[in-house]
Amino acid sequence: MTSAGPDAGIWHYDGVSATRHHPRLDWSADGFSLDWGAGRSGPHPWGALVPIDGTGGRSVYGLRGESGWRLGFAGPPPADFAVHLPLPARYGRWIDRIGLWRAIGLFTVIAAGVVFLVLSAPGWIAPYIPRSWEDRLGDAIVGDFGGRLCETPASGAALEKLRRALGPDVPIRSIAIANVGMVNAITLPGGRILLFDDLVSEAKSPDELAGVLAHEIGHVRNRDTMTALVRQLGLSVLLGGFNGQVGGMVNGLLAMSYSREAERAADRYSIDALRAANISPLPTAAFFDRLGSLAGGERLERATSWMASHPVSAERKAAFERSAVKGHRYAPALTAEEWKALVDACTDDPDVRKKGDFF
Amino acid sequence: MDEQGAHAFSFHGNWRDYAPIAFTNLLLTIVTLGIYRFWATTRTRRYLWSQTQFIDERLEWTGTGLELFIGFLIVLLLFGVPILFLQFGMQAMIFQGYAGAAGVLALLAFAFIFYLSGIARFRMVRYRLSRTWWHGIRGGSDDKGWAYGWSYVWRYLVSAIALYLPVPWAMMSLWNQRWSKMSFGPYEFRADASSASVYWRFLLFYLLPILIVVLFFGLMSMMSRNGALFPTHEGDPIDPRAAGLIGLFALLVYVGLGLVALVYYAKFFRVAIGGLSLSTLDFHFDARTRDWFKLILGDIALVVLTLGIGIIFLSYRHWKFFVTFLDASGEIRLSELTQSTTRAPGQGEGLADAFDIGAI
Repeated sequence: MTSAGPDAGIWHYDGVSATRHHPRLDWSADGFSLDWGAGRSGPHPWGALVPIDGTGGRSVYGLRGESGWRLGFAGPPPADFAVHLPLPARYGRWIDRIGLWRAIGLFTVIAAGVVFLVLSAPGWIAPYIPRSWEDRLGDAIVGDFGGRLCETPASGAALEKLRRALGPDVPIRSIAIANVGMVNAITLPGGRILLFDDLVSEAKSPDELAGVLAHEIGHVRNRDTMTALVRQLGLSVLLGGFNGQVGGMVNGLLAMSYSREAERAADRYSIDALRAANISPLPTAAFFDRLGSLAGGERLERATSWMASHPVSAERKAAFERSAVKGHRYAPALTAEEWKALVDACTDDPDVRKKGDFF
Repeated sequence: MDEQGAHAFSFHGNWRDYAPIAFTNLLLTIVTLGIYRFWATTRTRRYLWSQTQFIDERLEWTGTGLELFIGFLIVLLLFGVPILFLQFGMQAMIFQGYAGAAGVLALLAFAFIFYLSGIARFRMVRYRLSRTWWHGIRGGSDDKGWAYGWSYVWRYLVSAIALYLPVPWAMMSLWNQRWSKMSFGPYEFRADASSASVYWRFLLFYLLPILIVVLFFGLMSMMSRNGALFPTHEGDPIDPRAAGLIGLFALLVYVGLGLVALVYYAKFFRVAIGGLSLSTLDFHFDARTRDWFKLILGDIALVVLTLGIGIIFLSYRHWKFFVTFLDASGEIRLSELTQSTTRAPGQGEGLADAFDIGAI
């Protein structure tokens, strides 16, 4: 049995009251006990001591199972007492066990793997998601689009003609015109394509609409909406560890850069489909030209392109222009009557909800 | 134990001692994709608490990274899933023409989140007190904060309806309500600060935006008397006076409003902490507006000059500021300061973390 104290450099709190004791320490190979005249604590086995780190050069220990119990030393504990003591935790138990630098190396490898997986996995996973799930999800989201879908027998036939020409073997479940005042088209989960009415009414020709529609068909074929959904889910989980702002920003930027890649692929599909259907790509090129000037001109668009969801309009325009064969005789995508049926679909459909934004 | 004259609280930390903690925290947080930040917070607090002396003994932080992480996971499940559902569901409802119902649902969701953010504020204080030890004794609360959450909702609702004029009352009464439910050892905190004395400074903050707008339009109409100030045709050169006016406006909004907010907060904290007592101990907080101003200016300089890396030292600076200006007077009988009987919460401040509620 060895002893130390009592002196001012060794103190004890019993966790019951805030009174500070200066005990005598007695210890052997099996354990230790404290004695301060008015009371005693122990004997306790060595294993019950818990080191409490970061106490400004002092050494402080707690006792397992007795909250508030503290044994403190002004400096390091007496040498032959210290040999029985565990080391204080530093970075965290796992990291202390393998060492800081090795832990950093290991975490880096794991992190790189996780990032790679989350970024590339959606591309592999999406094709294996059953079409029926995707269809059900799309139906749940869209329904009848709040009664905003415009359809007449003639417009339906015209859209069907375009579908057969531009995506004969793509699993499209519906192409519809929606009475929404925006120059845009969207592809929803479940192979549903919506052309907004202002896109149709502001198009200069059916060929132009065909180019945009073929682009959306490209999204359906590549299952881009499903891939984007899975990716978004993965990124939100992955970036959940960071605090809100940083995570949200990185998430947005990454999602956008993937979206640009998908848009380029859809453009390539559109170019091929137009060629196969013998439709001129030049009107579509002109459409991107108009879109570009809406977005503030090429310079502004390029400056902000790293945070845009779509590639720069000028690039898209050039790609469509390059695909045109000089001197080749293209056929119009639709006859004049068919085109008129599409343009007038929303005015001719008697029971469509009137145009407006969503609210 | 009697404490007169000298500051009851003192801080012994040194940024050079803290730097290795801060940098390894940053490194580990990056390579673990952010997950280490709970352990990083814990390491930082252990250091800051252990360097903080109250009368004759240092504080001790016993919270763990795992607790914070579990708190985070619980909140992720509680909110992540409904929010995800709400996002998709809301979109579907709007698409299908039920925009009105979607709006009502969004409003309800917002109210619920507001309620929870009130509870988060309460629980953050409770968690921190329950993990703070001094002389082997800890703090805590027996209240879970549900009632506080409602109080938070209705007080701010009333404030909004009354054009935000009662905001100082809402802030102060909530502060009092929150701290009155807290305890350390066997003693409950008492908080009875009054909002009357902070009201003038709040009015300053309230009226400044109106003043700025009046000034802006006054100057604009004065200057437009001799010719249009802003170009009426595309391609016209921009009048330098117009550019100057817009610059002045931006300066007034950002710097002026920030400064006046500081003027208000400085007083608010002095009054709020000044109304706080524990048994026979009365707390004081002496930081004046210029001290806060120096703190914020230092923060900005540090972050800008280090190209952002300095952010990792902000929690250190803020804690040091808080401890330096915190004081207590009165007497404390150690033998009567017995162990807290409150139940310590099982996990960390996940809710507050989710709502990004920072706090001194």
